[in-house]
Amino acid sequence: MASKASFMRRTSANPVGLTSLKNIHLSSIDLPHLDGGLKEGVSPDVQRQIEALVDQARSEFPDYAGSNLLSDVLDISSPLNDAASAIVDDSFLRCFTSAVDEPWNWNFYLLPLWILGVVLRNAIIFPLRLLTLLLGALVFIVAFMVAEALPAKHRTLAERRVVQFMAQIFVTSWTGVIRYHGPRPVSTANRVWVANHTSMIDYAVLCAYTPFAAIMQLHPGWVGLFQKRYLNSLGCLYFNRTQAKDRTLVHQRMRDHVADPNSMPLLIFPEGTCVNNEYCVMFRKGAFDLGATVCPIAIKYNKIFVDAFWNSKRQSFTAHLLKIMRSWALVCDVYFLEPQSKQPGESSQEFAERVQAMIAKRARLTVAPWDGYLKYYNLAEKHPDLIESQRRTYSAIISKHVVPL
Amino acid sequence: MTQNLADVDLRKRELAPSRHRETQDLPLANLIGEVDQQEIEALYKRFRRLDKDRKGFISSEEFLSIPELSINPLAQRLSFFVESINFKEFVTFLSGFSAKAGREEKLKVMFDVYDVDGDGFISEDDMAQTLRYLIGSTLAEAELRSVIERTMVAAGADAKGLTFAQYKEALGDTQLALNLEVPTGD
Repeated sequence: MASKASFMRRTSANPVGLTSLKNIHLSSIDLPHLDGGLKEGVSPDVQRQIEALVDQARSEFPDYAGSNLLSDVLDISSPLNDAASAIVDDSFLRCFTSAVDEPWNWNFYLLPLWILGVVLRNAIIFPLRLLTLLLGALVFIVAFMVAEALPAKHRTLAERRVVQFMAQIFVTSWTGVIRYHGPRPVSTANRVWVANHTSMIDYAVLCAYTPFAAIMQLHPGWVGLFQKRYLNSLGCLYFNRTQAKDRTLVHQRMRDHVADPNSMPLLIFPEGTCVNNEYCVMFRKGAFDLGATVCPIAIKYNKIFVDAFWNSKRQSFTAHLLKIMRSWALVCDVYFLEPQSKQPGESSQEFAERVQAMIAKRARLTVAPWDGYLKYYNLAEKHPDLIESQRRTYSAIISKHVVPL
Repeated sequence: MTQNLADVDLRKRELAPSRHRETQDLPLANLIGEVDQQEIEALYKRFRRLDKDRKGFISSEEFLSIPELSINPLAQRLSFFVESINFKEFVTFLSGFSAKAGREEKLKVMFDVYDVDGDGFISEDDMAQTLRYLIGSTLAEAELRSVIERTMVAAGADAKGLTFAQYKEALGDTQLALNLEVPTGD
């Protein structure tokens, strides 16, 4: 009986749970079935890994002899094990899990100090911050009305400066300790900025330094009002991630915006969703397809006082803001990295991966090859071919036992 | 952590006696040996993570929202098996897959999944259904039936189907790939 080879290691770099193929002996006749191309939802990186492993199996098992009917038909332990492993821990949901706080204050000395800290933060500092925020918002509303009333020549500049002021008020209300590294973005034609995404506060953190126009989801509640009323002046574009038709329209508007040298620097979050600042999910290629130079921005939050990850399913944005305002400070590093152009012979997806690797390296994130939008759709429904390629392998095993009639 | 009424209710639902016939009223403590304290804590965190709206049980949509699980060929079969599973059932179910579980336990889990109608026998229909999950529509019905018949004969099954003892015997010394390890303290 041929010995079992470790066909696929289940590591964090190989999340597509295909260890069920580990215990299956493949003959050279079966292997071509595994080559059926995989598509989106799984990054090209994973596709390449699978292809490499198929090649490896091809070389290790050129000839397959002997199979046991009973164990081939009855032994379903491999796919079951994959399923159980995915249930217990999977590399997709890991990207959206907040760090766990281990209690450190349960002793005689630290507990009273911590309690003092809680009182200070909630009863004294928080009301002061809230007051600053509300007063700042009032000033902003008035200043914006004044700016709108100015003649066209000064108007856009004034509006932008006022919005930047509001972003700075936000940052102050969180006692943001933000360090910016690298050259300040300037309005240039044919440039687009991309950043990793942790929370909507990313936008405020960046705008406090230099105002950006961004592509955003329209949110409900006061955030939506703010977006519609005030952020339009910056040239922000809105889209609905669940509408496919929207994408081509938005893409065209992005192109127009980027081509105009007087428009604000355009900021795009290619992940498309908020991630926990430890991982980086697949970059969508939209931003890399515009034919513009891409300037990467890496944002790394220091979790020392507060975890800035916004889990939109668990918390409303208001609750998230209040959480940050009740902590000691928000510490963050923003790195403006070297602009990148698409190399000749490089596809948009490869370009996106290259930029993602740069950002992930600088912000010390682990790259996860999953599409962030998997939060919203079922992978198997959209890409049944991912199951079919596994099924072909099992089918090859079972069909060996079909006696020709 | 404040224990308000909603939390207490939730806890009750999570630990309600199991509906599955094999695990009626097994206290969690019985499982120690396979699932230790740390693993139970880790599994609980995971359970809370998957139970998005704090119902006390996990629905099959929530299971299938895990991308790696949804592309598993047996995902549909498992989602029937673990429909509306509460925490106690969750731990009991997963303990059978553990690397530390005995061979008998592992075979029992595999048998239960294979036995689609849950009557204690793997009939030809059970086998056909499970194999269809695994191989899809690539094999013709007649061919599949012929393989199933030969398997039944080889395992010595009667008209009702394979019993657990026969299943166990049929798999003889085959290495079972169930070696689940719960990651703790990540």
